[in-house]
Amino acid sequence: MAEIRQIAIYGKGGIGKSTTTQNLTAGLVEHGKKVMVVGCDPKADSTRLLLGGLAQKTVLDTIRDEGEDIALDRIMRTGFGGTRCVESGGPEPGVGCAGRGIITSINMLENLGAYTDDLDYVFYDVLGDVVCGGFAMPIREGKAKEIYIVASGEMMALYAANNIAKGIRRYAKTGGVRLGGIICNSRNCDREHDLLRAFSKELGTQLLYFVPRDNVVQRAEIHKKTVIEYNPQSNQAQEYRNLAQAVIENEMFTIPTPMTQERLEEILMEFGLFDNIEDDYHI
Amino acid sequence: MAKILDKQRYKCALAAMQTVQAIDRALPVLHSGPGCAQKLSESTGSSGYFSPNIFPCTSINEKDVVFGGVKKLETTIENALKVIDADLYVVLTGCIPQIVGDDTEEVVSKFADSPKPVIYASTAGFKGNNYKGHEQVIDAIVEQYLEPSDTKQKGLVNIWADVPYQDLFWLGNYRELSKLIEELGLTPNVIFGYGNGIKNIDLIPKAEFNLLVSPWVGLQNVRKMEKKFGTPFLHYRTLPIGATETSKFLREVGSFAGVDSAKVESVIKKHEDYFYYLISRYADLFLENRVINKQFTTVADAQYSLAVTKFLVNDLGLVPARQYVVDDTPKDQREAIAQEFKNLNYGIQAEVSFETDGFKIHEEIKQHDYHGYPLILGGYYEKEVTESLKGNFLNISWPVQDKVVLDDSYVGYTGGIRLIEDIYTVAVQRFN
Repeated sequence: MAEIRQIAIYGKGGIGKSTTTQNLTAGLVEHGKKVMVVGCDPKADSTRLLLGGLAQKTVLDTIRDEGEDIALDRIMRTGFGGTRCVESGGPEPGVGCAGRGIITSINMLENLGAYTDDLDYVFYDVLGDVVCGGFAMPIREGKAKEIYIVASGEMMALYAANNIAKGIRRYAKTGGVRLGGIICNSRNCDREHDLLRAFSKELGTQLLYFVPRDNVVQRAEIHKKTVIEYNPQSNQAQEYRNLAQAVIENEMFTIPTPMTQERLEEILMEFGLFDNIEDDYHI
Repeated sequence: MAKILDKQRYKCALAAMQTVQAIDRALPVLHSGPGCAQKLSESTGSSGYFSPNIFPCTSINEKDVVFGGVKKLETTIENALKVIDADLYVVLTGCIPQIVGDDTEEVVSKFADSPKPVIYASTAGFKGNNYKGHEQVIDAIVEQYLEPSDTKQKGLVNIWADVPYQDLFWLGNYRELSKLIEELGLTPNVIFGYGNGIKNIDLIPKAEFNLLVSPWVGLQNVRKMEKKFGTPFLHYRTLPIGATETSKFLREVGSFAGVDSAKVESVIKKHEDYFYYLISRYADLFLENRVINKQFTTVADAQYSLAVTKFLVNDLGLVPARQYVVDDTPKDQREAIAQEFKNLNYGIQAEVSFETDGFKIHEEIKQHDYHGYPLILGGYYEKEVTESLKGNFLNISWPVQDKVVLDDSYVGYTGGIRLIEDIYTVAVQRFN
């Protein structure tokens, strides 16, 4: 039995981490892979598309209401194609410590034996900013060894990605965690593909896959489904299958080389603008 | 880069529970982990109306960290009010709830209408040591409990000096300072210790002035009271020990309070006559013994290091080696305190180090040439190093392990005599 590939997905808030993770998961399921998705965001919306809704009770809700002596099936639900879905959850906004909540719930999952040998993949979908040690939990203590950063051609998305890379480098030095690449969730920016490729290269990694923008994603989300489930024939469904294929085949895992703010801005100047429209930029 | 801090002489800010305990019928309510009170309480003499370390406590655990501990705090306060008869409930927050961001103020504000006052102080360990924690508790009383007073009571003086329990002699010292103030015809008001408590807290805004007898601890409190109550303050940096400093102290307080100088001088004369009567009777011992050499070192908080240095130089004619202030004095106060060490009689100046690392202090003591047996007045940590140098050691500052003090004091004329007795008791024992 091969080792479980544990993968953490990071990226700027709102970049599409949860959407990408779930659609990627659906692609892997079609390849016959067994996948568990662990949502590490207090909003608990990382498995909505796989489960067809937000009905799930989170790990922390369960701990709060029922204590720690619970069965695994109280916190784990089965979603699209047999995926196992868990939401860490968190305290109400403005109270408590969500970071500690992630640590608590991941420890809980381990204690309850959620990581069974038949799993091929575990995904940790972590909220936007790695604001404290708790949100780095999935890449500490030898859990996720692979990380993908979801980004787009927008300045702030790249800035966040570079920052996340600094955190990865920190943990890469002491543990086995490596960056597997950048996944571009396209926003149709100027020369986005070139920019992301240049950015990835500078970061010492690769642009693993470029997911184009397509409104079918939005329609699928409204229907609480992944694109593969909602419209398996669509081009976008094929894009996610290709993404899954790229993840399966990926063998490039590196310690990232985050850049200075100045260098990041140079790359943006060099690749982030179409010629001739510098003063005529509108959407 | 982290370094090792050896023989630290203070505890974390939450040890301000000792400040609360020193107020009669005041109760600490801890919002902290379950072990904090136990670890912080080691001082003897803190049992009595309530236990020395078993307080109402939220004993927060992992669940409270994740979801916040405010509900637990609310019920803990509620139940403390039900089952413990106290006059003042002081909620003290430890590190965990303050890292998590529990809104203690909001919870405590729900008890604004309770029949007994409930206040809170931020005493997370990472905010500083128990000297700062002590100030936080006084600030909390001033900010949250007291209101300005329209009338002032003539001659009423609030006295702020030692940090209770951190200073072994706190009770005796406050009582002696009160006696001295009383002899000037003024009315002392102290909130700590026997016979004091909430009624004395209530008097604070009515005082004519605040008397702060401390190098730095409490300065922020008297400034706050000046702002809120319009109460002026006299900051007297040296805890008076012995005739020289105590007479100076009485003159300064007398002048600030507008006491007739003839009266001040008559009080001074009465005490000095007796003080020097005792000194002259034992002059032979002081002059001819060969085990108390001239050089000494203190290792203590700013309060004791400065006070004892002044006493030993000005009254006993000893020569200061380097002095060590170990209370992590705020940087902005160090220069003024160092100046006080230079302001000694006979043009003598003492070098002072603000140093919290006991290892460094001991290395320097070992390397210094005391021209004979060193006299070291410090914490119990200094006993071994002094013995290794065949010196004379007196335990005057925290930690104290070799004596029991119920209400003894080193303050004033009497306190000076007590300190002489203690030092020379050590000296004469060498011949036994």
